[in-house]
Amino acid sequence: MNRRKFLGLGLAVAALAPMTLSALDYRKEKPKAWTAKSVDDAIAALYGDAKPEVSDKITVKTPKVASNGGAVPVTIKSDIEAKSVTLLQDVNPESAVATWTVPEGGVVDYSVKIKMKGSGKVIVVVEGKDGKLYTASNELEVALGGCEG
Amino acid sequence: MGNMKIKAKEKDGVVKAKVMAKHDMLTYDQAKKKGKEANFITHVTGKVNDKVVYDVSTSQFLSKNPLFKFTFKGKKGDTLVMTWVDLKGNTKTEEKKIK
Repeated sequence: MNRRKFLGLGLAVAALAPMTLSALDYRKEKPKAWTAKSVDDAIAALYGDAKPEVSDKITVKTPKVASNGGAVPVTIKSDIEAKSVTLLQDVNPESAVATWTVPEGGVVDYSVKIKMKGSGKVIVVVEGKDGKLYTASNELEVALGGCEG
Repeated sequence: MGNMKIKAKEKDGVVKAKVMAKHDMLTYDQAKKKGKEANFITHVTGKVNDKVVYDVSTSQFLSKNPLFKFTFKGKKGDTLVMTWVDLKGNTKTEEKKIK
């Protein structure tokens, strides 16, 4: 009896594991996006050929001048009913920084610290539930590049 | 390497969470200079009652010891469970009660 229970438990865990880990893993599903060298390539790898339209419903907040490129705070907010949100920039060797999957009923209000090699642009692409792509960007200056460590 | 600081506070049905993961986040460039292997967090998930409230795939360009701030609908007393996975397959899970 005990052994049987133990086996059953193992099976249950095995069945659960893939669900919890990889439901929407953009790194596995869209590996090309993470090595794309330009913003356009990264967007194309993630979302296909659709051209994102500039939207004022997305707010991208960064400091105007970041003193330390190793940790540039970026805040993204949006009212758009979104499926996913991607953060990119155009100065590092590769463009993609992060892709959020917005859970059902989720609020798009994210803040992270990123590395920037130099002054440039951060770009946010929001994939709406209506299937359209929206984008917004923000330029900033970086006093000290962050990729040298 | 490897622990997380989590803060989560509820107000009017919305939980504000701050998560700091301790991780070197070595980019390929940095790793080459230091003669180490690149390693960085590639995926972060946040869950409450087994429901995903936060999910992000990340690249090498997050800062060292990256800080994630986010909000979601939730209530006091529930437990927020955060998990990250890095390039080498290390994973870490921490949980915290929502205040």
